[in-house]
Amino acid sequence: MARAWIGGKPAALERALAEAAKLLAASRCPLITGLGTDVAGARAAIALAERIGAVVDHMNADVLLRDLAVLREAGMMVTTPNEARLRADTLLLVGPSLEKDAPELARWLGLDASRDDNAATARTIVRLCPGRATLLRGEMYLGRRANQLPSLLAALRARLAGRRVGKTGVPAKAIADLATLLKAARFGVAVWSARDLDPLAIEMLCGIVADLNAQTRFTGIPIAPGDNAVGVLQVCGWMTGFPMRTGFGRGYPEHDPWRFDGARMVAGREADCVLWISAFRTAAPPWGEGPPVIALTAGDAALGGPPAVQIEIGRPGVDHDSVEHSSPLGTLVAAAAARRSGTLSGADAIKRLAAALEAAQ
Amino acid sequence: MRTRIAGGRVIDPAHGRDGIGDLWISDGRIIVAPPPGAVADETYDAAGKIVMAGAIDIHSHIAGWNVNTARLLLPEFHRAAAARPATTPLSNAGWSTFATGCLYAQMGFTTVVEPAVLPHYALHAHLELADIPIIDKATLAVLGNDDFLLGLLHAREGAAVIRDYVAWTLDATRSLGIKVVNAGGSIALKANVRQFSFDDVVPHYGMSSREIVKTLQRATHAAGVPHPLHVHCNNLGMAGNAETALATIAAAEGLPLHLAHLQFYGYGKEGPRGFSSAAAHLAEAVNGSNSVTVDVGQVMFGQTVTISLDTLRQFNARSQARPRKSVILEGEANGAGIVPYEYRANDFHNAVQWAVGLELFLLIDDPWRVFFTTDHPNGAPFTTYPEIFALLMDRDLRAQQIATLPPDAMAVTTLPSIAREYSLTDIAIMTRAAPARLLGLADRGHLGPGAVADVAVYRDERDRAKMFRAAALVFKDGELVVRDGAVTHYRWGRALNVRPERDRAIDQRMTRYYEGRFGLSDAFVKVPEHAVGGPQAFGLVQCAR
Repeated sequence: MARAWIGGKPAALERALAEAAKLLAASRCPLITGLGTDVAGARAAIALAERIGAVVDHMNADVLLRDLAVLREAGMMVTTPNEARLRADTLLLVGPSLEKDAPELARWLGLDASRDDNAATARTIVRLCPGRATLLRGEMYLGRRANQLPSLLAALRARLAGRRVGKTGVPAKAIADLATLLKAARFGVAVWSARDLDPLAIEMLCGIVADLNAQTRFTGIPIAPGDNAVGVLQVCGWMTGFPMRTGFGRGYPEHDPWRFDGARMVAGREADCVLWISAFRTAAPPWGEGPPVIALTAGDAALGGPPAVQIEIGRPGVDHDSVEHSSPLGTLVAAAAARRSGTLSGADAIKRLAAALEAAQ
Repeated sequence: MRTRIAGGRVIDPAHGRDGIGDLWISDGRIIVAPPPGAVADETYDAAGKIVMAGAIDIHSHIAGWNVNTARLLLPEFHRAAAARPATTPLSNAGWSTFATGCLYAQMGFTTVVEPAVLPHYALHAHLELADIPIIDKATLAVLGNDDFLLGLLHAREGAAVIRDYVAWTLDATRSLGIKVVNAGGSIALKANVRQFSFDDVVPHYGMSSREIVKTLQRATHAAGVPHPLHVHCNNLGMAGNAETALATIAAAEGLPLHLAHLQFYGYGKEGPRGFSSAAAHLAEAVNGSNSVTVDVGQVMFGQTVTISLDTLRQFNARSQARPRKSVILEGEANGAGIVPYEYRANDFHNAVQWAVGLELFLLIDDPWRVFFTTDHPNGAPFTTYPEIFALLMDRDLRAQQIATLPPDAMAVTTLPSIAREYSLTDIAIMTRAAPARLLGLADRGHLGPGAVADVAVYRDERDRAKMFRAAALVFKDGELVVRDGAVTHYRWGRALNVRPERDRAIDQRMTRYYEGRFGLSDAFVKVPEHAVGGPQAFGLVQCAR
């Protein structure tokens, strides 16, 4: 049984779809964002965006695009948490947000377990600026607060290149010791969350990884934000050639991280209608006042003010089968429904909406 | 409904046919021509035109994590086109799955093989393939740097278990064949080995690259997989690497073996710059080894991006990236490397590479054993195929281009001395009849009764590039999909796959392996039909036994 609301009042699904179609049909600059959905939901949303000339964004694009900015400006060496668990003899864990973004990080990386039989030496784990993160036994750390990271990373890279290092708030000897330790790694992995780092600092860290590969082997893991941001990025990539923050206003896909930033478009009163999708949880749009919102959400939790239209959709992998990005494996995986229910999937809701739009025109 | 393609020159080498005649289609299949006077429901006039089966590309990187990462790495190189065809969504995106299907169909290609799918990324590859319209697709699953196989070899397990593992992998990943990429090289790189040849030994595991290739060759053959093991050799791109390719060809030992993009292994160390064409030696070796097939991987000048599971090669190529950025993934098994590159006509090495590819095409005698590829996009994008057909068919055109290239580069090749020109029949063998036979696709690559009605009709123009760039008509499964070089509408093809028999004991073993090593069910490697979508996402191809 599909639950739906118009202006906060319960309504039949068909009426809610018709009302949503009316809003989208009247919109001159529609925005599809949130986009916390599985692969099928993203495919349906992007297909709809092309048809109505909408902009496609994701609620975690800010963080994700920091890593992507470095990837496409400077390149990147990466591995998966699973491969790091099996092979890494040295882990450089950067920033205080790792466990916040990846609560199961310790399990993914095997921080307190045995590893690949092939590696002969004991494992070295160093944290940079871990904030208040709890350290496991045997872990070392340098620095505390995230705002120390840019200067610490710069100093470390300089030290690795044999150059002198200025003041960073961390003893020069500790930085020199860390440089020696990293050079001695056989297969090292740097792990970071872009939540803690701006693109320049990420580029510095990736530069450290690249420099270390002159002599030894080192690679990196950008911990991705949630709500299937990477899965949606992949779908957007193959359907349009571009990441999210892509607009179809001119009839063909254009990508611009500033122009098609959904929050900016709302604040600038450019977007005049928002289709907000949050299938994994009931995340609310991050703005207060704004244009009418059509919300497709898991559950019926309040979204601040009631959206113009709200339709309950199933949770991917719980209410219906899904395909999502798996962070530990670094690939798209299929998940069978854990508690299959009749709740409308996000993909089906968007397809029904597209059909209602067609009927209205 | 019966469709008649009337009065064209039908070129169907599989049946020795080359003459003016009609082609009849019903229910998506070619049918026996009805008696004279029979009436068709639809007739397409092909008078003055060339009629061939739909073309088949055996090696083109069109889908999967590595291809998609290349898209994300290079947004500046694939701006979307402005015009929007109303009936074919997203076909105007610069580099989308949708554009891929349209561009192939417009050239008369109806089946394309994505040759580099790591088992753990198979679902991603199939999801992208499912969004490529019109054409049929297939994947090759990549083994040979995976810990499970190397563990079996290390433990000296019997051939039967390895054959069952190959069969399990093909079933799980829904692939058409098995490929090996720099066997053992990616594992070696993880242990900081920077150069790895055919007889070098994999650290920790203790077997040579040769042993991995031979094991997979035998296992693929024993499983009855129609397509022989597809080999990406060691030492890609290096001066003097023809020795590696010659050793690999010799290692075929009479059993079927396919060498991919041989051009990238066609280099000697002669000449003042220590870099020369060894294509003539390679061609001679291929001509003398009947069980060996090759595809070329032709280089054409221009900007492109190299996409490869050969992480060792791509790791070493980072410094040559144009523009200067790259992505190296060291995932399970091979991983992947994406390195942008621009082949320049005034660059000595690039000009030699261009010549090596054409030499291989022209010096290998049997068009049934040399296949047409650019290793898209590694040598050049597949959209350059029409220009390559023209070069193969016209020695004067080649001479014109040779005259524009660095003379010292041409001097270390034999290309200027080669007079051979491909005929339309040669082209039809190399791009239709032979690929179907190589892949075990009995229902295509020819125009005999019962074949899938994949048909390309071209205007017989003097300008062969123009002719092959925009087919006059293309039918997929009997349905008209291209007219005058433009896609008229979408239909959705299938991913072709094989499912060889196996002893089911391997299934329990794989379950135990994944639970032990990954703490996970092996389910994530298996591509479920529901996840890919569409009522008929896959099509099963029969094995030899």
